[in-house]
Amino acid sequence: MFFHHFKYDFLTCIRNKGLIFWLILFPAVLGTLFKVAFSGLYDSVAVFKAIPVAIVTVEENAVFDEVISAISDGEEALFSVTETDETTALELLETKQIMGIIYVSEKLELTVGSAEKMNSSSAIQQSIIKGFVEQYEIQKSIIMDTVTNSPEKLESVIEAMSADIAPNSSVPLTEGNTDSMLSYFYNLMAMVALFGSVTGLHIATCSQGNLSALGARKCCSPVNKLVATIASLCGSTLAQSICTIISTTYLVILGIDFGTRLPLVYLAGIVGSIMGVSLGFFIGSFGTANEDVKNGVSMTISLVCCFFSGLMVSNMKAVVAMYAPWFNEINPAAVISDAFYCLNIYSDYERFTEKIITMLVMAVIFTLGGFVLTRRKRYASL
Amino acid sequence: MAETIVKIENLVKRYKDLIALDHLNLEIKQGEVYGLLGPNGSGKSTTINCLLSLLAFDKGNIEIFGEKMSPDNYSVKKNIGIIMQNVAVFDELTVYENIDYFCGLYIKDKEERRKCVEDAIAFVELDEFRKFYPKKLSGGLLRRLNIACGIAHKPELIILDEPTVAVDPQSRNKILEGIQQLNRNGATIIYTSHYMEEVEQICTRIAIIDKGKKIAEGTKEELKKMIRNTETVTIEVIDIDDDVKNKISGLPHVYSVEFSDGKLEVKCSDGKHNLIRILGVLQECGLNFGRVYSELPTLNDVFLEITGTALRDSE
Repeated sequence: MFFHHFKYDFLTCIRNKGLIFWLILFPAVLGTLFKVAFSGLYDSVAVFKAIPVAIVTVEENAVFDEVISAISDGEEALFSVTETDETTALELLETKQIMGIIYVSEKLELTVGSAEKMNSSSAIQQSIIKGFVEQYEIQKSIIMDTVTNSPEKLESVIEAMSADIAPNSSVPLTEGNTDSMLSYFYNLMAMVALFGSVTGLHIATCSQGNLSALGARKCCSPVNKLVATIASLCGSTLAQSICTIISTTYLVILGIDFGTRLPLVYLAGIVGSIMGVSLGFFIGSFGTANEDVKNGVSMTISLVCCFFSGLMVSNMKAVVAMYAPWFNEINPAAVISDAFYCLNIYSDYERFTEKIITMLVMAVIFTLGGFVLTRRKRYASL
Repeated sequence: MAETIVKIENLVKRYKDLIALDHLNLEIKQGEVYGLLGPNGSGKSTTINCLLSLLAFDKGNIEIFGEKMSPDNYSVKKNIGIIMQNVAVFDELTVYENIDYFCGLYIKDKEERRKCVEDAIAFVELDEFRKFYPKKLSGGLLRRLNIACGIAHKPELIILDEPTVAVDPQSRNKILEGIQQLNRNGATIIYTSHYMEEVEQICTRIAIIDKGKKIAEGTKEELKKMIRNTETVTIEVIDIDDDVKNKISGLPHVYSVEFSDGKLEVKCSDGKHNLIRILGVLQECGLNFGRVYSELPTLNDVFLEITGTALRDSE
């Protein structure tokens, strides 16, 4: 009897076109859009191009010539240098072909374009040129002081300047991918899991005689309601899990880096699905509104949970953590996305296990709540 | 004497201040096609839902197959087939799968179930549609699938709650013939409807229900004998004066003469040759007449005479 219910509920879920759309096609489209949008963002930040500058020699400076030649050569050149006269340089600056003009004499001078004409990218490039000129002047004055006051220390001073000084070195805390954009994909997976609530809701509706004709027909049959409902929940969870696996696999194929522990990523998705189905079962068991109304409520709850988890605004979870940290602990979407996050960031399994247990506890609470609400066997009205 | 299959005693069901069932008593014997006839809202479906333990009731006792009916009485439920007013099938399952699913709620053995499903498909003549999904079926075929889902496990008691609502005449006839066939195969049938013609056609015994009360019970012949009317003669005439009406009223067995919209309607209580006598009066008075009908009383006449309103008027 258990397998009979399990089999047919699995079939009804897997053949439900609406469900396939929301659990596979919709996240696939959204994931693709995220990927395309974020890829553009990465390109603009990650690809560095040599900054075009003009050098106008007012007075010969052999040291500067050496330095500028060193940093404008090769594939990783900082500057792309145009040596020219002042008039041409100003024209180039006006037409934005260069970002600044360095006037070379005893003391370097810098001219950059007006702030109104510059965008954020140009402003960064101007800051880099300004930083270079200031650094050059500081180091030149240190060397001049040393030559004048302590010529015996010149060698060690030059050596110290040449060394790669890194007072604030970057020490990675994790071997995982800390890309903040990944949180969108974690939340996308959380959304897929929570959309599984639609199947749980359908089971609740179809098991109650006062909510549907199917429910009435089932209630008239010689079947233990508890066993039938558990079997149906298992069938739906299997269908939902398959959809989650397909969605996750699609994102992996798309190139989303979920880390090296992929089987556990799938596990988190499946446990999230169990929670999603049980959430839907609980919502469906509540009250006597029809299935369409409850579906609307379920979808709204899922999307609100995903919003506070950061599906629409990436730092939303941090904002919630600041003002209502308890909400992140009970928000199903936040718990699911946290599980993915923990798996990627932490090398141990402590926090990941904690999140998995939280999801399972929530699933048990929702399921028991649903059973309590649907335990009646006779109805006051149909 | 036939065994009592269903016994309902003093059943009372209230919805707040509304009394839906008012001390209803029914006794249905094995092999009967028992009709529950009444207008919409009379309490037919409420009776069925209480009978099936879907609805809680305020007072009374229900026994099926000699056992007290309760939601957990699976041995009783196992022998009941239910066909609801609303079609209750899964859109995502084919015709075969739907019947197999519902049959599987009653029969565990796969081989036995397969045979039952095949029999049910043959019975409702859906063989060529077995792989169709419900959305591809017409309204009539969908109703037949609904019936197949309810009877596939070959129950001893079949309850049909208005199974022909919104069904075309051809499918309706097929459904009614099918119900009679199920009865011939040994099933006891409870059939609710507000279509008196259907109830007259297939039911061996009928209870007329109004406002939650059983107002009459018996075979259709017994019910018709309860009332004064035995024949209604209708004659198309252009006009008729009071003198002629009085002459007709004075004929033996005539107890009601009415004229409206060019139709003279005469109700007779008993006796023979009523039509000939009435036409004789019209000829004597030199009145031309058109079409003439003579009708035996219907269950609507029974309902009308007992309650003062027609079945269709009260819908």
